[in-house]
Amino acid sequence: MTATLDAPTPAAATAAAALPAPPPAYRTPIVLAVLAVVTAVMALATPAGATNVRISTNTDLFQIPVFAVPGRATAWLLTVLVLAAAAYAFVLARGRRRIPVWVIVVAGVCALLALLVLISAGKTQVVPVTGLLAGTLFLATPLVFGALSGVVCERVGIVNIAIEGQLLAGAFAAAVVASMAGSAYVGLIAAPLAGVAVGALLAFFSIRYQVNQIIVGVVLNVLVVGLTSFLFSTVLRENPQLNSRTALPTLPIPLLSEIPLVGPVLFRQNLLVYLMYAIVIALQILIFRSRWGLRLRAVGEHPKAADTVGIDVNRTRWRNTLLGGAVAGLGGAFFTVASGLAFGKEMTAGRGFIALAAMILGRWSPTGAVAAAVVFGLSDQLRILMATLAVPVPSQFLLMLPYVVTILAVAGFAGKVRAPAAEGIPYVK
Amino acid sequence: MKKSLVTVAGATALALTLAACGSAPDSGSDATGEATGGAEATTAEAIDVVDGFKACMVSDAGGYDDQSFNQSGKEGLDRAAADWGIATNAVESTSDADYGPNIDSLIDDGCTYIIGVGFLLAPAIAEAAQANPDIEFGLIDSALSNPDFSPLVLDNVKPLLFNTAEAAFLAGYAAAGMTQSGTVGTFGGLPIDSVEIFMDGFSDGITQYNEDNGASVTLLGWDKAAQTGSFTGDFDNQANGTTVTQGFIDQGADIVMPVAGPVGLGAATALQSGGGTLIWVDSDGFLSTDFGDITLTSVMKQIGQAVHDSIKDAAEGNFSNEAYVGTLENGGVGLAPWHDFESKVPAELSAKIDDYKQQIIDGTFTVESENTP
Repeated sequence: MTATLDAPTPAAATAAAALPAPPPAYRTPIVLAVLAVVTAVMALATPAGATNVRISTNTDLFQIPVFAVPGRATAWLLTVLVLAAAAYAFVLARGRRRIPVWVIVVAGVCALLALLVLISAGKTQVVPVTGLLAGTLFLATPLVFGALSGVVCERVGIVNIAIEGQLLAGAFAAAVVASMAGSAYVGLIAAPLAGVAVGALLAFFSIRYQVNQIIVGVVLNVLVVGLTSFLFSTVLRENPQLNSRTALPTLPIPLLSEIPLVGPVLFRQNLLVYLMYAIVIALQILIFRSRWGLRLRAVGEHPKAADTVGIDVNRTRWRNTLLGGAVAGLGGAFFTVASGLAFGKEMTAGRGFIALAAMILGRWSPTGAVAAAVVFGLSDQLRILMATLAVPVPSQFLLMLPYVVTILAVAGFAGKVRAPAAEGIPYVK
Repeated sequence: MKKSLVTVAGATALALTLAACGSAPDSGSDATGEATGGAEATTAEAIDVVDGFKACMVSDAGGYDDQSFNQSGKEGLDRAAADWGIATNAVESTSDADYGPNIDSLIDDGCTYIIGVGFLLAPAIAEAAQANPDIEFGLIDSALSNPDFSPLVLDNVKPLLFNTAEAAFLAGYAAAGMTQSGTVGTFGGLPIDSVEIFMDGFSDGITQYNEDNGASVTLLGWDKAAQTGSFTGDFDNQANGTTVTQGFIDQGADIVMPVAGPVGLGAATALQSGGGTLIWVDSDGFLSTDFGDITLTSVMKQIGQAVHDSIKDAAEGNFSNEAYVGTLENGGVGLAPWHDFESKVPAELSAKIDDYKQQIIDGTFTVESENTP
């Protein structure tokens, strides 16, 4: 999504001064033009009839009734908008100017809306926009936590493949401790501690003993799966009171939660989601604007240089690997206390690996990770909506959709990404 | 560095070993042991067990505490051990890659009758059965097929199948009669026969109710004619069950039947907060889950009973490769009691459901499904 934003790199700029102007970068306009064609095809395929749209929930203060929009007309209008975005991008590219993000976002959202119109026109079912967005956020939450953990660890030079294990350990600890204490909030304290424990193992082997970090991460995932499944089958099975359901209550924020559309989605959530907002904002500022962040990145990019100016490389790595573990562990609480569920075996079901993809697609930045996680959550949610609306596509193909999006996103749109230079390399003085 | 690797590998191996044999020794006497509901007709008469007989079981990745079919299968095995003092062994698979090695380890352990729980074990069972013609196998929920999907019948493999469409039909009829909003939903874990057969029967029950009563109850999540519908993609990620169910609720559904093992628990939380009602599958959800208060009924599959009976046959030396098919008639499938909903289900609806049950048993009414075993 953010692939082509930094087209004129500093190197290219200096080269441009000496050499004839470089050829215009037509990549983004071409992608947008293809998107316009796809949207037009979708508009052509849209059946006659109206799409029923609902943008309020039953508990909203201001009720907006379900309204119908004409399917075909809307689809063509959206096609024109995508086409306009593509044309504008061509003009900008010709003038060798940067294409702003909003052009790409507008085109993407229009194409998405055209898809929604295509699958819902002429049907009695509604398109629950609020439900769609709320579901997207719900599915994106563990991915955001996992990706943020990856950002912190990899920025400091430690590859964190163990996100999956940290999520699972967090889910387990949150469920068990919350059951013992009888309060879901206590589970939110236990979850990051479990993540820290897994992070500590990762740091211990990869920093202290310089074991290949990818191997340690994979092994830790297997260890956590084995350990939690074993405890689940033995201790928790014999003592069901240790694994009862506790749920974080929903805390609507006054006023904000009454904003139509976005209110119920963003501000009618539980504490874990509010914590996620805070952590994203804090990390985005701290990593790029604070002394801690500068040191973090220095250690991940050029540890020798960092060492020369007096930064203790391995101590910095230790601390931030633990911090990353805590973030992922907290995210694990999503699966149990934040969803009102007891712990179930392997209930993270590979979300940690999708989080890893979100981190790469988000180019190792917190806001990028959020954007990528939302794209993955949305594709999952779209698949679910398409099945609910009985789109005549075999179920197996629908199940593939989120993974196809992941592959396309990572391989296609991420373009040239650059990992922190010293990532995965143990630092020995 | 070398040392630490060994430590990690050792710890992992230990954890895995522990996980693998974790639930083997107990004998299903816990609370969920009662979940088999109607089929408690255990008459533990003594039987002549063939010398050296040992009944064993391999779970699929769900494990023996999935509150679903692996658990039911294990209960049947444990009951056989308790009733006749048969030697047993059960191993749990943690991933799809474990099936073959687990079966091999049971063969090495001296097992003579090995039951694989679930459709996903079919290829591994077929391979092991062909390599070991003197060992008998049972396979729950699936018949064997060749790699080109043509049916495969082996002399030493007995498929244990369930015509769950019959019971799901009754559940669909009940759901259509009980819905306030006129919309109900169903979704599966993976699009496989043993899941889709529930959805087929459920869909037919709703259609039949609409015909009988001139109603227009709609079903979300399954199109029987096209055989497409809603699936979460696995039997682990409970959050997906919540999202799918929330999607149904957004469309006005008030009764949902998840056919997805533990993922159904995610559906239950969404229904609980959205004021909906649940229809559980495989076991009696009123007893086996803690969502009894919102469980209208359950489509039960008496896997435990089928396992128990097939072990008896094999132990007496009467093994046959003829498929066992559980039906309403032989009690292999059934609809659970209403429990908390007893007073809320209208008497005429309940009577109509009993009537259909009798017609299906008599053979005067058949539930058609292309997923019927």
